[in-house]
Amino acid sequence: MKNRSLIPRVLCALLFLSLAATTLPRLVARTREALTLLPMPYESRRERQMGAWYASVQSLRKTLPKKEPVALVLGIRDTEAAIFANYYLYPIRTRLFAGRNGYRDAAPDPTRPKTIVAVTSEKVEKTSYEVLRDRDLRAGHRVVAAPELSEPATSFVLPIAASLDGAAPETFVIEATLLNQSVAQNGPALSNALMERLPRTNEVRITFWPKGESRTLRIGAGDTVSYYDLVYQLFGVMESGWVQVESRLPLRAAFYFVNRGRADATRLPNVERFATRIPPSPLHRDAKLFLLNPGDSIAVTTVGSETIPIMPHAIVTKPISSIPAVSGNVYAFVTTRELNARTDFYWPEP
Amino acid sequence: MIGLLITLVLFPLVGWSVARRSWGEAFLFGAGLVGTILFLAGVVHVPLVPAFALVLFASIGGAVWSYRTRKTSSQAPHPTSHSPLPTIAMAIPLIAITFIAAVTPLNDFDGRAFWVLKAKGIAHERAIDGPFFQGATLDPRNQYPILIPIDGAVIFALGHDLDDRQLRWLYVGLLAALALLVRERISNLVSPASGAWCAALLVCIPQFAVATEGGALSAYNDIAVAAFAAGAFFELMDAHRDLDTAQPRGREIRFGLWLVFLILTKSEGLPFALVFLLIGAFVFRKRIATPAIQAAVAAVALLVWRARIPAGDEENFVRMLPTIPEKLDHLRSALAAFPRYMVAFSSWGAFWVAVIIASAFAIRVNRRAATIAIAVIASMLVVYCGVYVATEWVVTDLIAVTANRLLMHLAAPALFLLALGAQWWTRTKSM
Repeated sequence: MKNRSLIPRVLCALLFLSLAATTLPRLVARTREALTLLPMPYESRRERQMGAWYASVQSLRKTLPKKEPVALVLGIRDTEAAIFANYYLYPIRTRLFAGRNGYRDAAPDPTRPKTIVAVTSEKVEKTSYEVLRDRDLRAGHRVVAAPELSEPATSFVLPIAASLDGAAPETFVIEATLLNQSVAQNGPALSNALMERLPRTNEVRITFWPKGESRTLRIGAGDTVSYYDLVYQLFGVMESGWVQVESRLPLRAAFYFVNRGRADATRLPNVERFATRIPPSPLHRDAKLFLLNPGDSIAVTTVGSETIPIMPHAIVTKPISSIPAVSGNVYAFVTTRELNARTDFYWPEP
Repeated sequence: MIGLLITLVLFPLVGWSVARRSWGEAFLFGAGLVGTILFLAGVVHVPLVPAFALVLFASIGGAVWSYRTRKTSSQAPHPTSHSPLPTIAMAIPLIAITFIAAVTPLNDFDGRAFWVLKAKGIAHERAIDGPFFQGATLDPRNQYPILIPIDGAVIFALGHDLDDRQLRWLYVGLLAALALLVRERISNLVSPASGAWCAALLVCIPQFAVATEGGALSAYNDIAVAAFAAGAFFELMDAHRDLDTAQPRGREIRFGLWLVFLILTKSEGLPFALVFLLIGAFVFRKRIATPAIQAAVAAVALLVWRARIPAGDEENFVRMLPTIPEKLDHLRSALAAFPRYMVAFSSWGAFWVAVIIASAFAIRVNRRAATIAIAVIASMLVVYCGVYVATEWVVTDLIAVTANRLLMHLAAPALFLLALGAQWWTRTKSM
């Protein structure tokens, strides 16, 4: 009988031990952790738990507008980080956007927050759409792997230059490659004496019109400079226009109008003179005539029966349904979009 | 510390205002009542601040009245156990958990992503259907029931602080209150020593004490569900015990209120309440109508509230029920889920093995009481298996993140079976 009364006690003790054996070490470990956290201020304890990520949330919270919603733009594997950023930022209201594309596709939505917070599992940071776009473009690959360089020239115009986004995946950039071949060239065209007199570094002045902002590049002898997004990388803007290139030495270059989202590219001509005679070509949708006046005075242009004055350094677009006859001191070209969204360019005959 | 003070005083005060109770039961009843009243007030667009002020004044009045009637009451107090060993065994983990919760910041997933976020939203907007719930900010599980977030919001609002450190006490309090409820009720139903040991076992279960997801150191609502289910279960067992004698007035109302709390705490609460109503019908007979009406009111209020706010990314299991025949390939994983997690030593030790063995002996001790407890556990496991079959998630992923937490809900009937099973030796000895 005594044995029988012992049985429930022994079983209870065994059950209790089976629980305590698992719980006790974990309780002890967590108590020790708590003891190490105890001397710290509460926010520092969170930093200790969550690392630099929480520190970035904490500093961001101070800089964000309290009553304005913010967009949390996150990477593919950063959903969890965004959920916790949302938690720690509250009562600041947040809206989640899956990647930059999620944000740009919401462009027609008037309630889309203007303030952008980029969230990763390493940190959260206030940023701009342009910066996120540049980060994505830099991390990706250029569309034109082997650019076809032009003949050497010292002054020319790129009739179109842009850094623009449409709805995902349309991402328009200018991929550029500039080569200073002055010393590296071993051909018979340049004598040794002439080569010695040539400066080793070429200075290339690039002006983005119609704003007229310029940047000067110094390209070492034999060096190649390349850009995945010429307009944004040089001028820090997401705009469209045209570019004037002036080089101290003959420059070989290649410029491509690229849609990164669709991986298609069109080589841009290096324009050195006016041209208006565009050969007849099939037009698809969104067909536009571009009239570029690279000169310093007003160019009076005739398009069909219409007379259009083009201001100095201006580029004017006009929707068209057929290729018109154009005359005047301008450079004229046409763009049209195929059904597969590829942009076709029709350049004038020289 | 303001959060601690509010938690320790407010909820027991509201619980005591309704009737004379132990601290554990008063805490749980108070937490349930505050959440329920404010939820219903919110549904009928009564501003939450005046509604809460009314609850507070009524509670103070009720508590004073309850205290006075207690002095003059001739009702004998419930037997209490004074077993020092299990009391110490219960107190040590609770003290450790309290210390850890006081010092360590919240670091779980669901608590921060869903539950405490909701509490912040309610506290900030003083509404349960304000911009927070209308999509003005990210709330991934927008339509989850909000009884515990409302309690949390009350603590935030009274403390004028939206920092989650104020809520750490609420979740520790729920575990402590559940342990005290188990201790008191199993003491009454089985024996004082059993009650004391069951409470000690409960707070030592790793899943309750130290689990990152669902334990007392997280801000999940599974301990709350386990606690409210325990309240309903013990009410049912009390009613069963007194089946042949005159039942105290209001027992079925209390049973109904526990069901209301369940429904408003988590989505699993509604099927749980239905299971209790079904089993309760055999115990309460015609009087089951009262808890059924209470539960129906809560369910309708929940549906009305949900209809007013956009859905989050939570699954709608009712809509998924007709898809079960197409998903029978989930059945194998679903059926294997609970046995596999029940024997997971790191979460449950030998607890469920002991419960299964004890059930066999418990039936010999008190067939009907044991059958009720087993029926509650088995019915809920069937419901949860059904959910696993119906889910749109990858079923193994869902099981991995929920099985242990769903088992927590069944703690009270499981502990009761343990206590009852242990009686078999005592009874045999006395024969």
